[in-house]
Amino acid sequence: MNPRIEEMRDFFIVKKGHHARRQPPVDPYCLAVDFQKNNTSDIQRAVQRLLFVLQQEQPVIFAGERIALTRTVPVIPELFTEDEMDALKAKYWIHEKGDVCNINVDYARLINCGFTKKKEEIRQRIAAFSAQGDNSSVEYLQVLLQVMAGIEDSAERYRREAEAQGNQTVAQSFSNIPANPPRNLTEAMQFFRLLHFCMWCGRNYHNTVGRLDQYLFPYLKQDLDNGVLDETSALELVEEFFLTFNRDSDLYCGMQQGDNGQSLVLGGRDQNGRDCYNLLSELCLKASLELRLIDPKINLRVHSKTPLSTYILGTELTKQGLGFPQYSNDDVVIPGLIRLGYREEDAYNYVVAACWEFIIPGCAMDVPNIGALSFAEVVDDAVLNTLPQCENFDQLLQAVKQEIYRQADALCSQTKNLYIFPAPLLSLMMEGCVEQARDVSLGQRYNNYGLHGTGLATAADSLAAVKKYVFDEKEVDAATLVQALRNDFEGQQELCNKLRFEAPKMGNNDDAVDNLACWLLEQFAQSLQGRHNDRGGIYRPGTGSAMYYLWHAKDIPATPDGRRKGEALPANYSPSLFSRCKGPVSILRSFAKPDLSKTINGGPLTLELHDTVFRTPDSIRKVAMLVKSFMDMGGHQLQLNAVNKETMLDAQRHPENYRNLIVRVWGWSGYFVELDKEYQDHIIQRMELSV
Amino acid sequence: MVQEVTGVIFDIKEFAVYDGPGIRQTVFMKGCPLRCNWCHNPEGLSAQPQLMVSAASCTHCGACAAVCQHPDGCVACGQCISVCPLRLRRIAGERLSPQQLADRILENDDYYAAQGGGVTFSGGEPLMQAAFLQQTLDLLPHTHKAIETSGYADADVFDAVVKRLDYVMMDVKLVDDALHQRYTGVSNQKILRNLKSLCQGTLPFVVRIPVIPGVNDSVQNFEATARLIADAPALQKVELLPYHKTAGAKYEMVGKAYQPLFHTEQPVAIHQEIFSRYQIRSEVL
Repeated sequence: MNPRIEEMRDFFIVKKGHHARRQPPVDPYCLAVDFQKNNTSDIQRAVQRLLFVLQQEQPVIFAGERIALTRTVPVIPELFTEDEMDALKAKYWIHEKGDVCNINVDYARLINCGFTKKKEEIRQRIAAFSAQGDNSSVEYLQVLLQVMAGIEDSAERYRREAEAQGNQTVAQSFSNIPANPPRNLTEAMQFFRLLHFCMWCGRNYHNTVGRLDQYLFPYLKQDLDNGVLDETSALELVEEFFLTFNRDSDLYCGMQQGDNGQSLVLGGRDQNGRDCYNLLSELCLKASLELRLIDPKINLRVHSKTPLSTYILGTELTKQGLGFPQYSNDDVVIPGLIRLGYREEDAYNYVVAACWEFIIPGCAMDVPNIGALSFAEVVDDAVLNTLPQCENFDQLLQAVKQEIYRQADALCSQTKNLYIFPAPLLSLMMEGCVEQARDVSLGQRYNNYGLHGTGLATAADSLAAVKKYVFDEKEVDAATLVQALRNDFEGQQELCNKLRFEAPKMGNNDDAVDNLACWLLEQFAQSLQGRHNDRGGIYRPGTGSAMYYLWHAKDIPATPDGRRKGEALPANYSPSLFSRCKGPVSILRSFAKPDLSKTINGGPLTLELHDTVFRTPDSIRKVAMLVKSFMDMGGHQLQLNAVNKETMLDAQRHPENYRNLIVRVWGWSGYFVELDKEYQDHIIQRMELSV
Repeated sequence: MVQEVTGVIFDIKEFAVYDGPGIRQTVFMKGCPLRCNWCHNPEGLSAQPQLMVSAASCTHCGACAAVCQHPDGCVACGQCISVCPLRLRRIAGERLSPQQLADRILENDDYYAAQGGGVTFSGGEPLMQAAFLQQTLDLLPHTHKAIETSGYADADVFDAVVKRLDYVMMDVKLVDDALHQRYTGVSNQKILRNLKSLCQGTLPFVVRIPVIPGVNDSVQNFEATARLIADAPALQKVELLPYHKTAGAKYEMVGKAYQPLFHTEQPVAIHQEIFSRYQIRSEVL
């Protein structure tokens, strides 16, 4: 980080100097009331809201910046009144807030051609649709033109302000883009910023950054070839660009601060086996390493040919305590996606959604987090309802299987009649939307729904405990166990202790329990096979949890692994919170056993390593080897943290001293002191496992 | 036929990154003849299995006291372990045969071998269980084997173990014998003899110095150490391990008080330049 970037970081991140320019919040229903009164169509609501916010936005140029655009409007108004929203929810399945979210648009579709050419294309299509008498298509395309005009107007106002402030770089960028394709990397980044900024202004949240190192690389290369940039100045530019992701992030909506979906994916192999990791990938890793900020969130695609040096750079980043990079293994993910029916070229182009779900840029309207199967509940229900009648362990497994199919039925039947609000701006960057005058919210080439699988380790541990104590060793009577679970182990402390601390636990490279986890995942995958949603897509099983690890935990009674009612489940694909694992090697070996390409919705193994193992270059190399070994063993996704429990505890006591302490939550990194205590405590508990 | 002995270990640590080349597993063997003032593994001192209690989160529910049959002196019977609702008690120390220990090591041996590593025996003082150690080493012909030792053993014992190893990490805590006795409880004569043997040999070895403020961080001690090992052909490097204030963390767990004879708050002096002068590679861990 050079002094200039340091100064900018200090202004935006530490001092938050730009917050002074923020306007007072408007009434969130200021538009919806009129929309309702005028019976405005949903597409018109979407476009009018976006144009309203863009008009409210006042251009702000900060001294010396080369990539502009800063939010001044703190509240994005709602599209619907509360009554209307209730009516919509009664009629449809509304996912989260209802907006198009959690997809990756193909920014290059607009960046590489510029608005002028795109508008020309749209006008020609309007003429063609008009000749066919297709008025609704004409209307839709006119909306797209309206959106583009609004964005051009914003850009022009920024150009004038930059000119007035004497900022030639920004003024020149906006004199060229978005009308024309960028002439250099600075303009390309400004173009991206403009699009991304406008997406947030339309409340299209959690839409990810994608393979920036691929789609912006041609601009970097051109600048390097022309001598406009060298590696040092390019790094500075990337750092300045990364700062823009952190300017307004407190205004972005999410479950918790930091949960904002600004995921960036680097590297990966292409269909010819070529490694796509390039200089820009490297610069992105370095920029993130120097800036130490939670955005953008770095994901690194690796494969059998990824050199150790890349893992080492990634480990340097982990050492900063950011909770990323998150690694995904092309050699498992790509075949898994192809098996699910994704075209080969799309599977090779995969990115991650806001957290870790695997999605395809530019042509997928997948909803990868539409629901979650609760493994812990499935097993608990089977045990509570059938164990005393089971003559052997296989009968219990049959009951578990039935529960899995029952939950799968329920999840698939409730996720019907999805309605997503129109998103014209995003549609400009998605396949076929312009050509067919069809909004992205109505569907894309892929319309698959992803289901998380939560509490896998709790479920596998529970089954292993029942097998050992009830069936194999016959030490515990089935009726006694069921009664103890119903009573939350009241008066059965010793039984609880035995189950909790002495039974086999996933994460110790013990086939007795690991094979049960493999079996559970296999059943989950099979239970979804052949099912289609009403958008023509399929259901994808995964190993993630999102916030369900706390939500599900609240409702599930005591489990046969010695977990009491209400106690948290492990986040994502991880050992149970009270299992004392032998160490990271055993954890990796256990969690690499399942055929993870069959449950490839996404969801990483989370590994907490004590921060002392990151002390020397040699030890960092060894951590990098550890990460690589998981991939070599067939792991799909890994996220590791450098942690120190003492630091977290002290941060709870003295939050004022830890404003920059960053932790990984479930699929994203956030500032520890900004999280609700419930999440803080879960992370601290997770850390007991650190080695 | 060699008579089979048993040994006591208190942990096998996975993913050891500071215990030799590559990624390794480290076996902690119980019992040590030294009583170093700064020891951070107090459960490694006694050769016998013993009870350890994490008192910090104890709720004083009384379940352990209710089942205790030896209130006047713990015999590490383990009765109280399963009744503790938070599992704050455990027995440190497990008695194994060489074959049992070798089997445990071999469980993940392929993994460590693939990562350029192997197994390291640490402690406690592994040479205190030399016969057990030798028999275990002989059961691991294809494993890369290393030791972390104080070097405190009779010459024949030391040489017999070392010839079965691929790598040695040996502490040289203090060159001045009087000070060595004061801070570790034993004379360093055997240690220096064994160090000389390493210096004259061809087996790769590392010298480790736990750098303790006011105890051995003087220029004289670094200088004296460097003189002893300069020109040793198989010396890989010197590793300096600065004293860490958390050293006392586990004493309460084994029912002991941490009472070092030095001021734990004073800064540690690191003199890497002395080793550079003797053309010895050194690094701080």
